[in-house]
Amino acid sequence: MNEPAIFFEDANERQGSFLRRTVLVGGGAVLGLGALVTRLGMLQLVEAGRYKTLSSNNQWNYRVIPPPRGRILDRNGVVLAGNRPSFRVLVIRDETKDLDQTLNLVGELIPSTVDRRRQLLREISQSPRFTPVAVASDLSWEDFAKVNLHANELPGVMADMNEARYYPFGGAFAHVIGYVAKVSDNDMKKAKEAAAASGTDIDPMLMHPGFRIGKQGIEKAFDKQLRGQPGGQKVEVDSRGRVVGEDRDGDRRPTPGDDIVLTIDADVQNRALEVFGKESGAAVVMDVRNGDVLCLLSAPSFDANAFVSGVPGATYKALNEYDHHPLLNKATSGTFPAGSTFKTMVALAALEKGISPKDTYVCNGVFPFGNHVFKCDQHHGAQDMHGAIVTSCDVFFYQTALKVGPDLIAATARKFGINAVFEDIHIPQQRGTLPDIAWKKKTYKDPRQQIWYPGETPSFGIGQGYLAVNPLQLCVMTSRLANGKKALLPRLVKSIGGKEMPPGNAVPDLPVNPDHLQFVREAMASVANDARGTAFAAAQLGLGPIKMAGKTGTAQSHTYDGGHGAHGAVGEWKFRDHGWFVAFAPYDEPRYAMAVLVEHGGFGASAAAPKAREIMRTTLLKDAEIMARIQKQPGARIDAAPPPLAPDAMKSDLPPDMQDTPAAPASTSTPAVRTTP
Amino acid sequence: MTVSALTRPGQRDRISVKLGEIDWRLAGLLAFIAGIGAMMLYSIAGGSWKPWAEAHLIRFALLFGIMIILSLVDLRVWYSLAYPAYALALLLLVAVMLVGDVRLGARRWLGHGSLSLQPSELMKIALVMALGRFYHNLTAKQARWSWKLLIPVAMIGAPVLLVAKQPDLGTAILLALTGGIMMFMGGLTWKVIWPVVIGVCVAVPPAVMFVLKPFQRDRIMTFLHPDKDPSGTGYHIIQSEIAAGSGGFLGKGYLLGTQSQLNFLPEKQTDFIFATVAEEFGFIGCFVVLAAYGAIVFTALRIASTSHSHFGRMAAAGMTATFAFYVLINGAMVIGLAPVVGVPMPLLSYGGTVMVTVMIGFGLVQAVRVHRYFELPRGRGFLF
Repeated sequence: MNEPAIFFEDANERQGSFLRRTVLVGGGAVLGLGALVTRLGMLQLVEAGRYKTLSSNNQWNYRVIPPPRGRILDRNGVVLAGNRPSFRVLVIRDETKDLDQTLNLVGELIPSTVDRRRQLLREISQSPRFTPVAVASDLSWEDFAKVNLHANELPGVMADMNEARYYPFGGAFAHVIGYVAKVSDNDMKKAKEAAAASGTDIDPMLMHPGFRIGKQGIEKAFDKQLRGQPGGQKVEVDSRGRVVGEDRDGDRRPTPGDDIVLTIDADVQNRALEVFGKESGAAVVMDVRNGDVLCLLSAPSFDANAFVSGVPGATYKALNEYDHHPLLNKATSGTFPAGSTFKTMVALAALEKGISPKDTYVCNGVFPFGNHVFKCDQHHGAQDMHGAIVTSCDVFFYQTALKVGPDLIAATARKFGINAVFEDIHIPQQRGTLPDIAWKKKTYKDPRQQIWYPGETPSFGIGQGYLAVNPLQLCVMTSRLANGKKALLPRLVKSIGGKEMPPGNAVPDLPVNPDHLQFVREAMASVANDARGTAFAAAQLGLGPIKMAGKTGTAQSHTYDGGHGAHGAVGEWKFRDHGWFVAFAPYDEPRYAMAVLVEHGGFGASAAAPKAREIMRTTLLKDAEIMARIQKQPGARIDAAPPPLAPDAMKSDLPPDMQDTPAAPASTSTPAVRTTP
Repeated sequence: MTVSALTRPGQRDRISVKLGEIDWRLAGLLAFIAGIGAMMLYSIAGGSWKPWAEAHLIRFALLFGIMIILSLVDLRVWYSLAYPAYALALLLLVAVMLVGDVRLGARRWLGHGSLSLQPSELMKIALVMALGRFYHNLTAKQARWSWKLLIPVAMIGAPVLLVAKQPDLGTAILLALTGGIMMFMGGLTWKVIWPVVIGVCVAVPPAVMFVLKPFQRDRIMTFLHPDKDPSGTGYHIIQSEIAAGSGGFLGKGYLLGTQSQLNFLPEKQTDFIFATVAEEFGFIGCFVVLAAYGAIVFTALRIASTSHSHFGRMAAAGMTATFAFYVLINGAMVIGLAPVVGVPMPLLSYGGTVMVTVMIGFGLVQAVRVHRYFELPRGRGFLF
């Protein structure tokens, strides 16, 4: 209901008071504007002289001098990422007569600028006045000289030298150290938000033309430390902004970024890349005494240098779409079924449960369980635990796993670093999957899928099923086995700016009976050194008394149904099995542990073990104490390295030097097809 | 044909008549300021339409059209929408509190990217409309001093606290000042006004010391002693004062301002654009621009005083007050009379959000002018 009528008196009173107050508000506005005008008058009329002087004195400006970016070195001081001089051509818009014409002339001298003309025009017109913009960098000496020669005819164009990031080894370390690239809009946004949140100013270097920011790997993780503090060049600019003088004494020197020393050994990693040839996979080597990561390779790799100056779209697309995934760091971010390498964990779990290693099972090639038949591709006969690890008998582990149960297997594997993410690696990692009863319950929505079926345990017992691990995790697992005491952590960064990082062995002991570890280690020694061991032929180091211990794995990557391949290296590449080999050496006094994965490489013994042997040889031969031990042995000699593994040769199932050894075909482990009752 | 109190109601509703009733002088003044803004943006981009001047003009042209359309909207519709708009704005402010996007360290935005929305801007208009509607239904006596005044106090207090919490001190102050002025114009008794004004004056120093966030306190401290830290936070104030002072009487000339062109001035395209005017056009230029702002405020206040409905009076006056506060606060900040609080110069500064608020606000003011003879009944509107 509306009120029937307005009370005239009241309405008039209301309006009257409003009008009076409006006059007051108007008066207030006049006062406010008057105050502004008065203050402006003071500034601009009374004190104008003083401010004019201030304004012209103000023309001392600081030009940012970017500091040299900290280098990244390997453990022996080999430079993995450094800086090299780069010749650039810069354009200063306000000093050119006609920007279009200038760019035309520059384009005649340096044809590469013609393609990027549109982008350059935008960059130049958006830059502040009298700020040089780089139109071409990384010029050859000839081009640089050409521009200098024509400098007189090109006002506003100058050539100078700055420092550019350089990766001497190109691809071998690309996944570990990453790369630097231009500051993107997104980087800028993040930096602004971070600066606003902490109430500080944004780093002025981000705005500097030619500044590069760490985009991946160590370059990204330690960008702040590598960056350093910018210096300033004190220059005098006239009222139009042109540089008219310099004050050398007023310069502030830049503080270079901190050098970062990695635990990586460049020789080992380079050898590893060489050994992989065109194949896809990963190799991780660790020192089992202190956790130092000597090699963290993902193959195939890419040339990080291409990313520094901006990788062309077509190249990036090709890299991204290639089915061997060169951009993915398979060593930490690729997850795969562990295959038979996981039998070490199942055996340990059984021992920890109190199952006797003397218990035997008879393998006649098949293991019927429920309504499914699990297969083993050999008739191993009666086997105890030692024998089953040596020959990688699936039937034995199907039954052992059923006896131990998934939870204890998972708990044991967890103690050895499976499913862990290691902070001290500082590069992104994929955790993978370590299934147990609680995990299934948590992961699946459908109540029928939340139950762990007994039929899933046998697959788990041979490292298949839901299990997915990354090569780094398997290497940590092997080094903890080899160390025999400590729950070692991998360490990738040795020191930053001379400050040592904590080692990987300042950790608690493994909560596992050392005798059980000794048992598994002995079985792994037999894998590589018994004639019936799956890796007997492939794992001979040829270094006299220095022997390797290891475990092969052939992980099924895809169901064999529908004609998609079969066991081993047959069929279409992307359906083939993954080959694994984990190893440590010397087997009597372990120093180095490794995990090698050959993606879709087929059998672990034929695809991965020969590569592991090569990488391990390089690692061992770099160790002075190992060398002394080899030479001390009377009559010992270092065998010549086996013939190099040519990429073409790797295409056959077996490397040429072992094609006629009888042990090779036995080097198998069977992945089981997962069953759901 | 012109409209008077005696014109037949049907005639007033014709669009052609309504268009004639728009205050084109006011519209022209707004366009003048926006034009100066584009000119300055062209200058500080080093004589280039990109990246600011072009966008500024396009935005203004679009919003000018919207203002014209809004001015044709019947005052009863504005009246009806007052409370729903206020409720929506309040709801969004609460939503920002809970799920807002943190940008530049403050939680002010809802949504992402180009569809983002700053509810505190909507609140600036909604608060004015809602207070106008509330006072429309109050008698002079009640508006002077009665328990009913607790309601507008709550209506102002709730959004002010929510916005201050974001934290966006500039907008919170603006909302509080606008609300206060509207209560004053509504007829609040002097017996209350004096104690409140004195109370605020007494309470500000301790509030600065204890309630504000450290960076807000730093700004105020810097304002009081800019010379202590000339390269740090005092930098803005000193540079902007130098820019203004060195302009002198006639200025350094268009496109020739050294302070602004050389990037000595921070935020030159938004909060500190007035300093560029001062530098390049000197005292004369500043005087002209401030006079134009003054003319806008007076024209709008005149529109408010000629309205026949109390809602129209209050709403138009409230919008004018918001606009005037923008100008005074920014102007004072740029020439060192007030601390840096991040309030832009309306229509002159680059930035879409504030321009949207201001132009919608003037759409309302123009609607009050076009419909000034409307008798608006009390109580419910015809929609809500």
